[in-house]
Amino acid sequence: MGCGCDDCEQMMQPYLDGMLSDEEVDEARDHLERCPWCERRYRFEERLRHFVRIATDEPMPASLREKLHELRSTPPAA
Amino acid sequence: MSESSPTAAETRRIAEVARDRVRFEEEALALSDQVYRVARRLASSREEAEDLVQDTYARAFRAWQQYQSGTNLRAWLLRILTNLNIDRGRRAQRTPDVQPLEEGDYFLYNRLESTLAEENPDEEKVIERLSQNAVVEALAEVPHDFRDVIVLVDIGEFSYADAAQILDIPVGTVMSRLHRGRRILKQHLAERAVAA
Repeated sequence: MGCGCDDCEQMMQPYLDGMLSDEEVDEARDHLERCPWCERRYRFEERLRHFVRIATDEPMPASLREKLHELRSTPPAA
Repeated sequence: MSESSPTAAETRRIAEVARDRVRFEEEALALSDQVYRVARRLASSREEAEDLVQDTYARAFRAWQQYQSGTNLRAWLLRILTNLNIDRGRRAQRTPDVQPLEEGDYFLYNRLESTLAEENPDEEKVIERLSQNAVVEALAEVPHDFRDVIVLVDIGEFSYADAAQILDIPVGTVMSRLHRGRRILKQHLAERAVAA
C-alpha cells in the first residue's frame, strides 16, 4: 500500500513546519497533488496538531487568577 | 539640609517608575491564561501548575526591571517558569538515554485507519478515533525533554527561536526534539485509539 516513497513521510513535518526550500515545497506539492494517499496523511497531521492544542487546553482556575492579581504592587482600588 | 524633600525631578522619576511597573504588571497578567496553558502541560498536575504560575508571577513582579521592554514578555515569563520547574527537581526524572524505536510519521494514521471499515476515510473520521483524554494522557507520557518542546511549540505556539531561548538549548535541538517528540506522542496515541 501507499506510494512507496519514504521521502514523503520524512518530508511531512518539515513541510508543515514551513522548513523546506521553495524548490522542495514545489516538489512536495507536486507529489501531493498526484498522491491522495500521502495527501490524506498530511491533512491528518495538520488536523492532529490542531486537536492536540484544543484537547490539552484547560482554563486557568479563577482562584489562581485572583492570587496573581493580589501579587501586584498596587492592588486595584476597591 | 533639605535632603528630606525630593526635588521635582526625583518625584517625577519615582512616578514614572511606578507607572512603568504597573504597566508591566498589567501586561504580564494579560498573558496569564497563555502562561497557565503551557504550565499545565509542563507540570504533572494542576496543583503543581498553579504553584509554578504563582511563583513565576511573584518572581517576575520582583524582577520586573530586568525585563527589556519591547522583547517577548510571554517568552520571558516562560523562561522564569521553566527555570523554576527545573529548580524544583523535576529533572530528577531524566529522560532515559535509550528511547524506544520510533515509528514513522504515518504510523498513527495507518493504525487508526485500520480500525475503520471504510476505505480512504476522511481525516475527520480518523481523528474521531482519538479522545481528548487520550491526548492528555499520551502527552504526559512523552519524556520531559521532548514534551517541553512540544508544549512550547505546538501548544504554546512559540517560535523555534523562542523555545530555544526559554529552554536554553540550540534551535537545531528544538527542531530535532520536536520531530522525535511528535512521533513518540503519536505512538502513545496509537495505543489509546478508541475502538470503532
